[in-house]
Amino acid sequence: MYKYVAKYLMLEKVFKFCEATSFASLLVGLVLFALGAFQALFIASADIQQDEIYRIIYIHVPSAILSELIYIFLAICGLIFLVWRTKISTIFLNSAVPIGIVLTLLVLITGSLWGKPTWGTYWVWDARITSTFILLLQYIGLYVLRTSFNSVSTSDTVISIFAIIGAINIPIIKFSVNWWNTLHQGPSITTSGSSIAGEFLTILIFMMISLLFLSYAIFARNIQSEILLRTRKSKRLQGAING
Amino acid sequence: MLNILNKKNILLNVQMIRQNRLNRLGIIIITLSALGMIAFFVLKALQSNINFYLTPTQAIERGYENLNIFKLGGMVKMNSVQKEGLNTRFYVTDYDNETPVTFRGVLPNLFKENSGVVALGYFDTKKKIFVAKEILAKHDENYSPVEIKNND
Repeated sequence: MYKYVAKYLMLEKVFKFCEATSFASLLVGLVLFALGAFQALFIASADIQQDEIYRIIYIHVPSAILSELIYIFLAICGLIFLVWRTKISTIFLNSAVPIGIVLTLLVLITGSLWGKPTWGTYWVWDARITSTFILLLQYIGLYVLRTSFNSVSTSDTVISIFAIIGAINIPIIKFSVNWWNTLHQGPSITTSGSSIAGEFLTILIFMMISLLFLSYAIFARNIQSEILLRTRKSKRLQGAING
Repeated sequence: MLNILNKKNILLNVQMIRQNRLNRLGIIIITLSALGMIAFFVLKALQSNINFYLTPTQAIERGYENLNIFKLGGMVKMNSVQKEGLNTRFYVTDYDNETPVTFRGVLPNLFKENSGVVALGYFDTKKKIFVAKEILAKHDENYSPVEIKNND
């Protein structure tokens, strides 16, 4: 198993895979995003309670889900690095952090723009909003940590530990609306079904997929630059990448 | 030197590496579950502070007279909203208990009967009414399209 995985996760293979897929993924993502945004803005009808302002969920919810999924991914990468000492997992970890920052910022900004007309305030310190804000700080912390050490191996270890410990916040974000009284509404999509109407949900999933493709495109480019940076002293790897 | 590379030593080495991996995995799992439990107990201890608002039942349990300025939240009771110019009076209910509220000011758009609300203010124990300084509307988790009837 280990040998099998290691064969496909050699740095030069990953580099070439990213090279081959990132631009295609960007194109697919942009097309899906344009289609999804068109449906969200022009085809979908207004919401019965909120009228037009509800349309912001088509950005808010996918980026919220993705920002949490990316954090889980970071934590798993950190765990794999600490146990198996595989370099590739910290390359993945470092490459995903900037995407997490952007998505979490998007969640907070869109949520706050929606909050003003809906709740009557841009910002309150309820459990959901505060824990999401902490997630943003965690991402920024990871981003800053990376440049704070002289040796790459120290920063990799510290970042991995930080990422794993921070994963405690993810269930807190998810269940904050169930455990405490919050201004933020409860979950719409649960195991017993969705309280978002079907036609809205389809567009939401569409937007989610487009965001996945767009994120992957940036992720792949980040991986490439990370690999180039780390292998700049190894002639063999540089040769394998370029040749 | 060559002795290091014989088969027996390599096997021993592999075994040691595997053992180290298991040890590291164990340390991480134990640390993480310990930290998780710490987080759990801290959050449990802070439960009442993390709550964004008190429901009427929670406010009655604590006693209105013990609370200074607090946030009262729940649903606006059906047929309870009375408007007089800028003054609005209504009941906040959690379907077990209810609290009368008075507010002077502009209400958010989504404020309506049988819908969520959070009011910041204090309870006037003489007049037995909650005086709100600020009203926030709470949206529910339901999203459904407007039925367009003009189209047929």
